[in-house]
Amino acid sequence: MKKKLNLAPVFFVGPHLILFAVFIFLPTLYGIYASFTKWNLMSDPVWVGLDNYRTILFDTESTFHTQFNNGLRNTLVFVALSVPLLIVIPLMVAVALEHKKVKMKTLIQSILYIPGLISISAAALIWSLMFNKQLGITGNVFGSDTAWAAHQPYAWIIIIVLTVWGGVGGNMIIYRASISGVGQDLYEAAEMDGAGSIRKFFSITLPSIRFPLIFTFVMTTAGAFNVFGQPLMMTDGGPQQSTHVLMMYIRQLAFGNGESIAGMASAMAVLLGLVILVISALQYYVMNRNAT
Amino acid sequence: MANTVVTEPRINNEKGSRKWSSNISISKYIAYLFLIFLCVIFAIPVIFGITTSFRSQTEVVSAGFRLLPVNWIFDNYVNILENTSTAPIMLWLRNSLYIATFHTLLVVVVISITGYGYSRMNFRGRDTLFFTLMGISFFPGVVNLIPSYKIIDALGWVNTSWAMIIPGLAGMGNIFLVRQFMNNIPKELDESARVDGASDFRIYFSIILALVKPVLIVCALFSFTGSWNDFLWPVIVYTDVDKMPVTAGLLLLQDIYGNYRMIGQLMGSAILAIIPTLLLFLFAQKYFVQSINLNSGIKG
Repeated sequence: MKKKLNLAPVFFVGPHLILFAVFIFLPTLYGIYASFTKWNLMSDPVWVGLDNYRTILFDTESTFHTQFNNGLRNTLVFVALSVPLLIVIPLMVAVALEHKKVKMKTLIQSILYIPGLISISAAALIWSLMFNKQLGITGNVFGSDTAWAAHQPYAWIIIIVLTVWGGVGGNMIIYRASISGVGQDLYEAAEMDGAGSIRKFFSITLPSIRFPLIFTFVMTTAGAFNVFGQPLMMTDGGPQQSTHVLMMYIRQLAFGNGESIAGMASAMAVLLGLVILVISALQYYVMNRNAT
Repeated sequence: MANTVVTEPRINNEKGSRKWSSNISISKYIAYLFLIFLCVIFAIPVIFGITTSFRSQTEVVSAGFRLLPVNWIFDNYVNILENTSTAPIMLWLRNSLYIATFHTLLVVVVISITGYGYSRMNFRGRDTLFFTLMGISFFPGVVNLIPSYKIIDALGWVNTSWAMIIPGLAGMGNIFLVRQFMNNIPKELDESARVDGASDFRIYFSIILALVKPVLIVCALFSFTGSWNDFLWPVIVYTDVDKMPVTAGLLLLQDIYGNYRMIGQLMGSAILAIIPTLLLFLFAQKYFVQSINLNSGIKG
């Protein structure tokens, strides 16, 4: 019995697999290896086993332990604040734009997407000016005398505002493309049955776009865990380290001024990666199961 | 539902909507209010950013918040374009355009082929392999930043466009998206084609590719913008000022112009840098709303 070997999957999946191996798998593997070492990027890594992890997780005296806990807590706050807004607002926009009677869809869509095109450094500069006590909108229009970046909860507000402003467009585009694929006949049938907008949204739109929803939810969450640019540029981690997110500590340790502690940084990055992995898997599992 | 004729329900629908007109007009106003409110909030910083590039530095730091400049000046742009020795922005823009275009074309090829493999083909361990790759790709980029640089160095790609074009092709995000869209396409489509003797390549090329066009355009837009705006990686792999893409250049400008010393020039450079991505977006966006009806697709 000779079974014919099907080579077609190799052609379709193979090229990407090679790219993945070279540019993601190997470097990640090396990064994980580095997390078990003492490494300053210059000399060769020295194997120290689980020392880095032990310090980060259990050594309450160590600054690495405090940094990790504080960074992870602040990252979780950012995720909890930003992800719901980055899912719900784009979805509402996409649905509102689907409305037959709404005109100028292209213009509205463009206005909401443009902030996402502006590079993070320019975006942060704009918003720093906007929130500047003397020059910006908070002092001049709302008459607030507070330096927003230096006080909570304002520090989180300006980070979230920048994030939502720049991030709504991307998910909106995914929802728009997805809703455009939903069969128009489904809506027409529902309309003839007398279904209103809300009913149509929950009975047709939402179930039809559940895969894009899962995708954006998982990817937005994973992206939010990697947050770095916004708090760095808007608040520089302050006030009192309350917006100092984990990625900022990791980069400081690996590439900051002074001697690099890349082994420790890698261990923190691996732990962050595990957190992202578990949460993404949970989201995917729960949403996939509930939807069917 | 597969066999509805396209034109007739439309006519019915217009009659239908007249019947429900009060309902529709209320929801229309709610939709409008929400969208206009959001547009105003989103547009103000953009307008402020653009007009800042037409302000003098004195005005930026002293005039308080004004949406429009007191005096429109064009010196910032003149200075940006004339300063070709330390800040060759047109050269950077050309580099970015070359990199982002090639990268995006390759991304579309790779993600559609790979997505087909993980969605429409059956082979042992397919889903396990796919989710293992997804899991690995969730590790934050800093874990593999230095090792990635070493690989690029070993390949001799430092200071070349390859360093920007190739590694990003390995990413999983777009493949996940494409795969999910392809999973939504009824299996009957390719099964009947397969019965007719069509090969996988033929099914991919003449059936599936057309059906996932909107999502491929979305991915292309994201890849282009992502490649265009990526700044951490180019700063690492480019030391040669003439070879840099524009974001790495903008970072140099931040050092040259200083954070608050020449805001107008900095803003102006950032505005120049978004023009290509903006044009691409304006071109691509009509495809998002172009309705493709997967159900009627069954008729083939």
